[in-house]
Amino acid sequence: MFGLIGHSTNFEEARAKARSLGFEEFAEGNLDMWCSAPPQLVERLEVTNPSGKKIEGAYIDSCFVPEMLSRFKTARRKVLSAMELAQKSGLDITALGGFTSIIFENFNLLKEQQIRSTTLEWQRFTTGNTHTAWVICRQVETNAPRLGIDLRQASVAVVGATGDIGSAVCRWLSQRTGIKELLLVARQQQPLLDLQQELGGGQILSLEEALPQADVVVWVASLPQTLSIDVDKLKSPCLMIDGGYPKNLDSKANGAGIHVLKGGIVEFFSDITWQMMEMAEMANPSRQMFACFAEAILLEFEGIHTNFSWGRNNISLDKMDLIGAASLRHGFEALSLSLQPDASLAMAPA
Amino acid sequence: MASIAAASIAAPAVSGASATDQLPDFSSELYKDAYSRINAIVIEGEQEAHDNYLSIGTLIPDQAEELGRLARMEIKHMKGFTACANNLGVTADMPFAKEFFAPLHGNFQTALAEGKVVTCLLIQAILIEAFAISAYHIYIPVADPFARKITEGVVKDEYTHLNYGQQWLKANLETCREELEQANRANLPLVRKMLEQVASDASVLQMDQEDLMADFLSSYQEALLDVGLTSREIARMAAAALVG
Repeated sequence: MFGLIGHSTNFEEARAKARSLGFEEFAEGNLDMWCSAPPQLVERLEVTNPSGKKIEGAYIDSCFVPEMLSRFKTARRKVLSAMELAQKSGLDITALGGFTSIIFENFNLLKEQQIRSTTLEWQRFTTGNTHTAWVICRQVETNAPRLGIDLRQASVAVVGATGDIGSAVCRWLSQRTGIKELLLVARQQQPLLDLQQELGGGQILSLEEALPQADVVVWVASLPQTLSIDVDKLKSPCLMIDGGYPKNLDSKANGAGIHVLKGGIVEFFSDITWQMMEMAEMANPSRQMFACFAEAILLEFEGIHTNFSWGRNNISLDKMDLIGAASLRHGFEALSLSLQPDASLAMAPA
Repeated sequence: MASIAAASIAAPAVSGASATDQLPDFSSELYKDAYSRINAIVIEGEQEAHDNYLSIGTLIPDQAEELGRLARMEIKHMKGFTACANNLGVTADMPFAKEFFAPLHGNFQTALAEGKVVTCLLIQAILIEAFAISAYHIYIPVADPFARKITEGVVKDEYTHLNYGQQWLKANLETCREELEQANRANLPLVRKMLEQVASDASVLQMDQEDLMADFLSSYQEALLDVGLTSREIARMAAAALVG
């Protein structure tokens, strides 16, 4: 059985979700109550691939909301308790969605393997980052030509280049796509230099320097609320892949010739009966989902019950090939721009 | 899915980690004063658990032997925790503890007099055991070495007690669902009040109130799931403690 650990994008949405799922009392509760609330296994689901193989899984809501990010102990407890529930529910491979894997990584929860009477078995969990990185690369390769961008002549900026997903995207782009120029953007200098050395190329630039040069921008960093993008300085056309979390780029970069695509989102070939993706504001909630979630589904289909994506900067091209092939085989497709003949505005699926 | 985390979540990770790495000063007067009440609660709790299991045995005579076995374990725990106080040179504040348990004790005695097995089991074998387990889990990492060892031993036993209540209620769920809900409504808010009452003493022992409540609700939810209630029923029941 596969598992998905997710959470609401904000507190108000969490309350609305609780109400719609019949958790009326949770919907009434304030943020302090939600901080103490245990994780909930809210939905069980079945997924059938194109060749008719059926697998079962469950969705666990950690009852975390981003408003709790400043409360270290709460955030840590939410993630660990949700993982404990996944393990106790007998889920073999569970993806850590949204902020879950970010909290796990940044708060170094690897050293917190013991939660109450449960020893967490890391092999039951995956960040899903390998599939996310593969999907983002595929989105670049498929959508750039549709906008008339020839990747062999293109400059591609990766914002958040040194992160787990960012570095994997850089590796793929530089070794597999033959792009003209790779622009590396991140906050810290030393990891950037290390990455540049590993790649044997790429230009380290600030965000302000990189944006006007880029034909394609891959965003895999959380964008600060205060970030503003001067759209007049961007190239036209410019493909922007919004691969960060939460996805809020379409409100910041919106203008003629700028095409924003939600990154790291896949679409399944048939409808899945579940309520949760509706809450994640997917354009087509019965088919679309985060690629990280899809990774748990893929690993279950493939019978690979290991922590496939784990730790930082461990994503190899081999692993991306493996998960990418599985993705296609089991009926997933990376989300594409929905171009219309007179398209002139941002194309992000609403 | 992950990306580079916002700076806002990178910062607290550092301060959070260092806060838990440092143990309290077990010899300080402040610590010993708080410990005199917390330790008394634990001792009183174990004593009452002993008495309660024997009482429940009078309601279900065919279980009396097993319940007697559970009761004896509680007395062993009580002695262990008494040793913890001696080790720190603390005298447990027993009058405080008796008063602390009075409302829950009263509810148990009423249910016992009315022959309500389900209510008695919910109070003792589910609520109190789930609370004890989560409190012990949170205490262990910040306990003095002597108490840590004792508590680690106790917590293992308490799981068997929680399990006993679960099994009985599970087997009788169809006939006890309504009483279970009523008993929850009457007693869960008391547990929350008890927790609030000791929050400041617990924080001197570096036990965080929100952690205590959250871990308790996790254990409680897990026990009730095992009994066979649905997660919606449990959420409704848990809300009795959380809302209002």
